[in-house]
Amino acid sequence: MAAFEYRQAEEIRDTFARLGVRYLFIGKSGAILLGFPDTTQDADLFVERSPGNGAALVAAVRELGFDLTDAQAAEIMRGKDFIQLKNGPFDLDLVFAPDGIERFSDAWARRVDVEGFPVCHPDDIIASKAATNRVKDRESLPRLRAFRDYWASRRRG
Amino acid sequence: MPAMEPAAASKELEAWIEEFEAAARRPLPLRVRYAFIKTYRPVLDDQPFRAFDRMSDYRAWCEAALPSWLGYGRV
Repeated sequence: MAAFEYRQAEEIRDTFARLGVRYLFIGKSGAILLGFPDTTQDADLFVERSPGNGAALVAAVRELGFDLTDAQAAEIMRGKDFIQLKNGPFDLDLVFAPDGIERFSDAWARRVDVEGFPVCHPDDIIASKAATNRVKDRESLPRLRAFRDYWASRRRG
Repeated sequence: MPAMEPAAASKELEAWIEEFEAAARRPLPLRVRYAFIKTYRPVLDDQPFRAFDRMSDYRAWCEAALPSWLGYGRV
């Protein structure tokens, strides 16, 4: 499988919008869309947990080319906290309950629009990584916090 | 991470800001092209689908199943 491409990010954006999936880019992939210069492997999506959204999400990922069995589709529809998909054109992580973020609606209210891509606010990306407390996140957090400050200062103009 | 001397920390921050400025000058498609890579991660990449009821289950699985050098273990 090749690396995730911009065209595939567009396909997520356009397909999810058409099918009405409520989601946000989160994690390092979200930070990259905001302008954070770093590398990652997966696209990480924070998805709202609701029956309607789960059904729309399954339809969307199938349309994107992920080969889901009915049992796997049911697990997505149930909104399990964390789902890794490697059975499609790119690696996709679906997160229904990221560490450090209380409710999807809170993150949605703070979201940032980047050329049509709905992205978690840098504060939420940082909160999630800080709460996770993984070795790889702890190493990247100081630089990510510096980026958040830089990004905020540019936004203020 | 050990605390850095103020001068070294300041130099590191300056370098980061330069990287942020350079990234900000690139269009989004180019930023994405530079950022997403693909390398094989043992165990993690060996199953086409995984689902975890709770994030805590996923974190525990990462610590138990993944090589520590991947960095998914908690501090």
